[in-house]
Amino acid sequence: MAPARDEGISRRGFLRGSIVAGASLTVPLFVTACARDGGAAEYAITDWISIQPSGTIVLGVSQPELGQGSYTALPQILADELDADWKNVVVRFVSGKDAYRIAFHASGLHDGTPPIQTEGASMSTTKLTHRLRVAGAQARDALIRAACLRWGHAEADCSTHLGFVVDTKSGKRLSYGELAGSAAKLPLDPYPTLKPPAQFRMIGESVHRVDAPAKCNGSAVFGIDVVVPDMLNAAIRIAPTFTGAVGRVHNEEAVARMAGVHRVVKLPNAVAVVADKFWQAKRAVDALGVEFVAGPGGDLSTAKIDALVQRALDGDAGVMVMNQGDARDILAQRARSVIERRFQVPHIAHAPMEPVNATVHVRDDAVEVWGPIQSVTACETEVARALGRRADEVRLHVTYLGGSFGRKIVPDFVVQAALVAKEVGRPVKLLRTREEDMQHDVYRTNAACRLRAVVDERGYPLAVHARVCGQSLFAAVRPSWLTRTSEGAWDESMVDGLYNQEYRVPNFFVEAIDIPLPVPLYFMRSVGSTAGVFFWESFIADLAYRAKIDQYRYRRELLAHDPAAMKVLDAAAAAAQWGRPTPPNVTRGIAYNCYVGRGGAFRTHVAEVVELERTPAGFAVRKVVCAVDAGLVINPNLVKAQIEGGIGFALTNTLKSRITFSNGRVDQANFPDYPLLAMSEMPQIVSVLVDSDRPPQGVGEVVLAPVAPAVAGAVLQSTATRLDRMPFPAELFAGVRL
Amino acid sequence: MSVPFFVNGESREFDGPDDVPLLWVIREHFGLTGTKFGCGIAACGACTVHVDGQQARSCVLPVGAVRGKQVTTIEGLSKALDHPVQRAWIALDVPQCGYCQPGMIMAVAQFLREHPAPTDDDIDAGVTNLCRCATYARIRAAIHAAAGRKIG
Repeated sequence: MAPARDEGISRRGFLRGSIVAGASLTVPLFVTACARDGGAAEYAITDWISIQPSGTIVLGVSQPELGQGSYTALPQILADELDADWKNVVVRFVSGKDAYRIAFHASGLHDGTPPIQTEGASMSTTKLTHRLRVAGAQARDALIRAACLRWGHAEADCSTHLGFVVDTKSGKRLSYGELAGSAAKLPLDPYPTLKPPAQFRMIGESVHRVDAPAKCNGSAVFGIDVVVPDMLNAAIRIAPTFTGAVGRVHNEEAVARMAGVHRVVKLPNAVAVVADKFWQAKRAVDALGVEFVAGPGGDLSTAKIDALVQRALDGDAGVMVMNQGDARDILAQRARSVIERRFQVPHIAHAPMEPVNATVHVRDDAVEVWGPIQSVTACETEVARALGRRADEVRLHVTYLGGSFGRKIVPDFVVQAALVAKEVGRPVKLLRTREEDMQHDVYRTNAACRLRAVVDERGYPLAVHARVCGQSLFAAVRPSWLTRTSEGAWDESMVDGLYNQEYRVPNFFVEAIDIPLPVPLYFMRSVGSTAGVFFWESFIADLAYRAKIDQYRYRRELLAHDPAAMKVLDAAAAAAQWGRPTPPNVTRGIAYNCYVGRGGAFRTHVAEVVELERTPAGFAVRKVVCAVDAGLVINPNLVKAQIEGGIGFALTNTLKSRITFSNGRVDQANFPDYPLLAMSEMPQIVSVLVDSDRPPQGVGEVVLAPVAPAVAGAVLQSTATRLDRMPFPAELFAGVRL
Repeated sequence: MSVPFFVNGESREFDGPDDVPLLWVIREHFGLTGTKFGCGIAACGACTVHVDGQQARSCVLPVGAVRGKQVTTIEGLSKALDHPVQRAWIALDVPQCGYCQPGMIMAVAQFLREHPAPTDDDIDAGVTNLCRCATYARIRAAIHAAAGRKIG
């Protein structure tokens, strides 16, 4: 029996005629919530491609779908090289083979970290495009050879067309389905011939999302929707402080007698109630009367963090990250003309719309897990460790993820479900409420920066000293990724957007200071660049403003040595009609960043122009023009969706998001005190995809970082107000979109 | 301890306390999981359903309040994904993670009955569901596209 529902959806009609396979494209789609199902017979041609005798092509996708479009773009690459007919394609999540693992970080290889199966860091397309093209070409080649064996022909006489091998002389043809059984027995050519780009039929096309229909009728299975036989439901109350532990539980006996309740399970820092239904478990956990012990972190507060931050910025304890020229000497010699700014960003929460949850069945033969899992390898490893089992005993069934943004890489919630399920002996779905999700996130870290500069006679930076401090993400979760020097270790993510910035600055000194805190951290969409690019680009905007030079021209001057950067900057300015005068109530800001993938995996150039409208109530962000050079674009429709959503996500960070702490715990609990951008606040987005002959570069995170400094630059231009803290003051941005 | 009502046109009965939120009754007792849990306090709209033709955020609506009423969930909006809002959503590839979209679609379906040709200001004021992926630009475009068609 399939443990979770399989979905069979036909889509027909109602599709744009311009896309690949024509207006009648039909995609019978099933996306299994499990890696294997007992469906029709099929033949595995490669690790990625199986073909059923009926002609149905099953394309494997190893990257969980959290909204970024992996279930569409990655099979699209396979289908192109395979020459498959898209209307006969079904997509299935796959795991368990080395082919699905990627080397995530260059230094990870150096420290012996093996490749892993995970989605994240905007890596999927960059890391997998070539591998998938090879797999598609290998399968196509095997099918051709299978046909030639059957016909007794030379391979040179055979070609393929949309799911058929064709004898080019006679016109005879055999379908992939008819050939699958014999093709599966042939060895694969390790070096198959890839299509020349001019023959791409699907790569580069705006293929519709394969997951859209199921997401529009409620049939898409997210983790929260998993139902397995004999399943119970659990609610949990976690110690509010990060160092907390469970103390007295006052009403355990009364709760155990409540309707539907099966068991109260105590973990070191949490109490869960297992019941027939979630609503019963939730009521029971609310009635438990749990006392918690705060632990040593019970005095953590935002005031305390702010004091540590200011002390670090004023102190002299930095670890040198880079030193180009004589920045410190020049700044000391010209102390009276130094321009100084300070900036700060808070901790923030991922807050995916689907609160974290997992369903686990701990058995003697295996540990079965269903849920919204962003990293297959991390989940297998952590669940096995917590239960004292082997990682290969953990069987994962990855569902759709209702948002993640990095959150669901960390399997703390799966481990909790596993520990509870182990006590019960039946499958248990553990779901956190929004409050538990928000107060026990793994947060995006805080950061602050002091920037000091001396400018030349024209107003351009001659010497810059950047000091960044904050709770180090790498020190907290990836110590092996720290860069170690004789002065100490520094965290690349803390100075991203500064130490690797693209502008011509002859003398540049960057240092970093770790402020250890008990706050649990993890990567969040765009990671350190959200802070670093805000600091740096806001400072550049200020230097331009003080020099009375146009913001765009100022950046052009500093990027003259970098044609790729200039190309996107010019593209954004042109699309925004930068030179044209604006109405008196409209003001513009601009920002640029080159987003560098983890370990140097890719370089994506991004430039954005923000248009603010000044209304009697305050500013409204009216329009954002975004130009991106992301190399070869597999699916423009998906890339544009990432640009649109990424800008909206960044506006939430810029205008709203702030996690604060009192008495060791998070103050915010739900959307009223941790608000998200609303429909009425979403600007018009204009996306420009710059032509590029580079291979695919990362997209999912790259557009976020320039948003805040472009908004800040526009405000500076409009009212001479300098914004130095995210989120920006709500009262400044109360304008309604017109 | 029994609440009879109609779900997607079928007569159903919930055998339990009448203060259980409608959301959990339809998800856990009737197996209709298209309606989502997002916040539990009617702040995000992921749980939006129709009750007698009006939008309702089911995470705070006690099941007792729908006694004898008609509840429509995303599963009942259309039989073949052919409601104009669903058609527009698929045509414009609105969903990203998709978690909020059933609630969004239900909210917009009802909104368009009241505003058959909405302006952007109408949309800003009348569509208040939250989307963390910020698919709002496509939602707006899809609302305008759906507004040109008959709302069933």
